[in-house]
Amino acid sequence: MNDETAIYAENLVKSYGRFEALHGVNLEVDPGEIFGFLGPNGAGKTTTIRCLLDLIRPNGGKVRVLGLDPQKDPVQVRSRTGYLPGELHIEDNMTVESTLHYLNSLRGNKADWNYIQHLAAQINLDLKTKVKNLSKGNKQKVGVIQALMHRPELLLLDEPTFGLDPLVQHEVLNLIAEARSGGATVFFSSHILSEVQEIADRVGIIRSGIVVEVAQTESLINRALRRAHIRFKQPVEVQSLANISGVSILSQSDNQNVTLQVEGDMDNLIKALATFPVLDFETEHPSLEEIFLAYYREDRSLL
Amino acid sequence: MIAVFRHSLTRYIGQILGWGIALALLGIYGMLLYDTLVEPQAQQQFEQLISSYPPELMTFFGDMSQMFTPGGYLDTLFFSYIPIIVGIFVIISCAGLLAGDEEKGILDLILAHPISRVKLFYGRVGAFTIAVIAILFITWLGFVLPLPRTSMNATAWEFILPFLSLFSLLMFFGRLTILLSMLLPSQQWATMTSGLILVASYFLTSLARLSEKLKPIEKYFPMHYYQGGKALTDMNWGWFGLLFGFSVLFTLLALWLFERRDIRVSGEAGWHIAAFRGRKPVGSVNHS
Repeated sequence: MNDETAIYAENLVKSYGRFEALHGVNLEVDPGEIFGFLGPNGAGKTTTIRCLLDLIRPNGGKVRVLGLDPQKDPVQVRSRTGYLPGELHIEDNMTVESTLHYLNSLRGNKADWNYIQHLAAQINLDLKTKVKNLSKGNKQKVGVIQALMHRPELLLLDEPTFGLDPLVQHEVLNLIAEARSGGATVFFSSHILSEVQEIADRVGIIRSGIVVEVAQTESLINRALRRAHIRFKQPVEVQSLANISGVSILSQSDNQNVTLQVEGDMDNLIKALATFPVLDFETEHPSLEEIFLAYYREDRSLL
Repeated sequence: MIAVFRHSLTRYIGQILGWGIALALLGIYGMLLYDTLVEPQAQQQFEQLISSYPPELMTFFGDMSQMFTPGGYLDTLFFSYIPIIVGIFVIISCAGLLAGDEEKGILDLILAHPISRVKLFYGRVGAFTIAVIAILFITWLGFVLPLPRTSMNATAWEFILPFLSLFSLLMFFGRLTILLSMLLPSQQWATMTSGLILVASYFLTSLARLSEKLKPIEKYFPMHYYQGGKALTDMNWGWFGLLFGFSVLFTLLALWLFERRDIRVSGEAGWHIAAFRGRKPVGSVNHS
């Protein structure tokens, strides 16, 4: 860990009674990056985020947020952080405007009201509406605004686009990207893999309370399995391709069309194909979703 | 803390006005009735009426032998049973003060803001205390405004004393409920437990006026140290201090627990004693 690290967790352990939610989470998030924290429900995403804000106390391990210990300096950590809870609950009998005024007053009125109005306009939220009359998606918009309104150094967002329609999802992702270009670090959990793939610089995958993989989003996609669709000019002996290291045949409609799965780099396959009459060659990266599911398949195989 | 205090107090405005005005009207009505009831003829008729009721019923309205003294009258009119009525409001409010918002998930968002748990706690408990004082003040006005129109021989200052006695009892139960809401898994459990103690205490203390067998255990119940109307002429400051002292103790214990516990979201609560499962002592968690 260096002083610049935005989030640092080392062997973070958290139990609820007999249930151990985090088994030793290790994480390092650099300043200015967008870090996507992936995992299904119950994997430990929310528990990790709540430990970072001192809402819950870990049973072991070390945590630093913006170089501070959340247990020793919780107020300092929270003043520099914006948080969107996974399940947002706000008082029903207030308007959106009065809710944001109240939350802003808890921050010493640090937020600029013009900026709040700009955020509200961008995601199409009426500030005069009573919270109890808001749909789930619109409540989520209030959560997004309150997290962003004071231009925090660090954004901790637990499922930020949950319940939003695709258009607003896109706007929220734009706001997150905008916050990052303003210098903020963004740590957000999600199980919507396409959005993580869209905006995250790096991805962490948490599985049953342990971070199993942290990588650049691109490299995670690139280094994993690929698919190659090949069309030959004339029928060939495609079985010979299966002998290439890291290559297996996924499907073969005839001896002119074949889909291969390639593990690792493509070099061996390309060299081997040089001896074949190739008409068309198309490769495809797996989506983050497929990679994510692959990690879970591995997990299940261990059980 | 000011922001939390102001916001919490705003949430109580309806209750302050509702409870305060209703109780004040009861006070005005009762005070204007005083002269009619203490007239010798009316007094005699009223005594006959009272004697026709079983003493086991009348004991819940204070010491009927003192009914025609100012203190006894106030007791029967108001102070004998009002701890139960206002006490239920106090218990429900205090159970929800932190645990209610915690269970709803609201505290999760509030405590993600730069406010310490201590300030949140004092801001909310302070607002609640002011709300109770405001309700009692409006009620007190209802008693003292008609005072010049009655023959009751008491000053406005003396009228403060039974309200102070009531305040100390309400604080006792309010703070006990906050403490229980920190110890027990839900606000419902805290409400139920505290309500049970309040009602049991009321019944036992009332019945102890009739049964010698209950006298030895009566002193273990908080209602014993509540004077009600009797405080008008004979305020026991020791009892006031005792109830108030306990409420301060409960407050400090509740704060101690609140500082150390996890902020629950739905599904995390259980029969774990919060004090022994929350923050580990510094040292067991690596702070290097």
